[in-house]
Amino acid sequence: MTRETLINAIIVAALVIAPLAAFAADEPFLITLATKVVIFAMAGVGLNIALGLGGMVSFGHAAFFGLGGYATGILASHALNYEPIFEAPFLIEGTTQMLIIWPVAMIAAAIAAVFIGALSLRTSGIFFIMITLAFAQMLYYFAISWPAYGGEDGLSIYVRSEFPGVNTLEPLQFFALCLALLLGAIWFASRLASSRFGLALQAARQNDQRLQAVGVAPFNIRLTAFVISAVITGLAGALFADLNRFVAPTMLDWHTSGLIIVLVILGGVGRLFGPVVGAAIYILLEHYLGGVTDFWQLPLGVLLLLTVLFARGGVIGLLAGERRNV
Amino acid sequence: MSEPILKVAGLAKSFGALRATDDVSLDLRAGEIHALIGPNGAGKSTLIKQIVGELRQDAGTIRLSGEEITPLTTAQRAKRGLGRSFQISSIAPEFTVMENVMLAVQGATGRSFRFFRKAANDKALTGPARDHLARVGLADRADIRAADVSHGERRALEVAMALAFHPKAFLLDEPMAGMGTEGTARLTELLADLKTEAPILLIEHDMDAVFALADRISVLVYGRVIATGSVDEIRSDPEVRAAYLGDEE
Repeated sequence: MTRETLINAIIVAALVIAPLAAFAADEPFLITLATKVVIFAMAGVGLNIALGLGGMVSFGHAAFFGLGGYATGILASHALNYEPIFEAPFLIEGTTQMLIIWPVAMIAAAIAAVFIGALSLRTSGIFFIMITLAFAQMLYYFAISWPAYGGEDGLSIYVRSEFPGVNTLEPLQFFALCLALLLGAIWFASRLASSRFGLALQAARQNDQRLQAVGVAPFNIRLTAFVISAVITGLAGALFADLNRFVAPTMLDWHTSGLIIVLVILGGVGRLFGPVVGAAIYILLEHYLGGVTDFWQLPLGVLLLLTVLFARGGVIGLLAGERRNV
Repeated sequence: MSEPILKVAGLAKSFGALRATDDVSLDLRAGEIHALIGPNGAGKSTLIKQIVGELRQDAGTIRLSGEEITPLTTAQRAKRGLGRSFQISSIAPEFTVMENVMLAVQGATGRSFRFFRKAANDKALTGPARDHLARVGLADRADIRAADVSHGERRALEVAMALAFHPKAFLLDEPMAGMGTEGTARLTELLADLKTEAPILLIEHDMDAVFALADRISVLVYGRVIATGSVDEIRSDPEVRAAYLGDEE
């Protein structure tokens, strides 16, 4: 067992024990906090596939996070108001079933990612960052100006969506559901990283020319990775909407994109559990320091600066040493 | 005579008023090493870039085994069997030596869109990769990060990656660049072995290596091929001596 495996195991244990302890202490709010950590971590796991493995600095992942959120919000609000989404040419009704909402959220994110990726990936570096940002902002302003689903005020969902056999309104059960998805996403990401596709993707990050010389077109590899990355972040968005029982355009805002990048960098770019650590640090700082001072983001900024300057592998890199590829 | 493996005909490329490639025709026949020499700035790199598809020529055709490859992208040409090594070592530095070769094997066999199985356990990748590493003498360096091996080993790694490709033709861009005498000797041996696999278009500055290895030599000066012939013919060609070789004596 490598040191990183050990650290990852400790993180998983903490993710399981912390909410159980909160449950025992009858502090349901702490469970909600832990759920938030898990959901943001998942958004980060998604971005980490593009950023960590593929070297694509997407500053527009809020688009996918928000689309996932709106998929939940729109489907659920129609179901709760008994209004079909479409009547013609065929009837589509809203739903509060997560098992339907999730695939819809993921497909919506995938379609957006194919479109955004296909255009953005023709550029690289700073231009890629700016174009992904621009696309996300377009969606943000669209959401603000579209009154049907709440516009600027956002969209409330009265009841959390349902999952067979789980009482999703019970914080601990909803947490367990989110945690299961997060672990699934991390497992998938780890398989992906060490697969043939992962090999090609990581080669695209390091040496584009070499990948072409062995007969693989980097664009196709990157676009596929970008879409996979968006799908995972989209699913996290769907969960986030259900956690808050509220969707707002802020989910699509560039602050959200920035936040997801910050989580990944804090925890460790390209590290499997990096986003989990990053999300935990962020959420805990926000909660505990935010209670003390309005300027809680100042220490966060200092922390981020220190990470970038002195710990390029993030917290995981600091604890587990340099990254090993594949 | 049979159809040449690689045939370049009437290739031309200008950058503004500069004719970097000026009506170049050359061919690469089965089983030979065809060396391309020329002074700095003669347009060797520009020519290579057009052959592999990184630059588009203004005029002329490039055929690989009789098939016109001009409309294809770099990746597609590589897939058709153009195995290339680079003037400056081009490897994935964070990968191990082994992973670099696995990547090349994967490129050659296609199937980069497999998302689940561990590549490191994939015998279809590791088996050939190990063989190729053994062939270039890197078997015991397999698990070292490519960024950490010596310059000479990196050149050998490039050759292994080109080998993994089972190419129809090798394009080796200054494989001896920056190598010591001993390294050059080893690589010379390796290239002589390599040519049994597929013919080699060798761009090289090291004249000793070229004269030792090449079956034919073409001399490129100011974008033009001024002479093509056997080693002896080139050595005795007065025009070549004036343009190039003379400088060294």
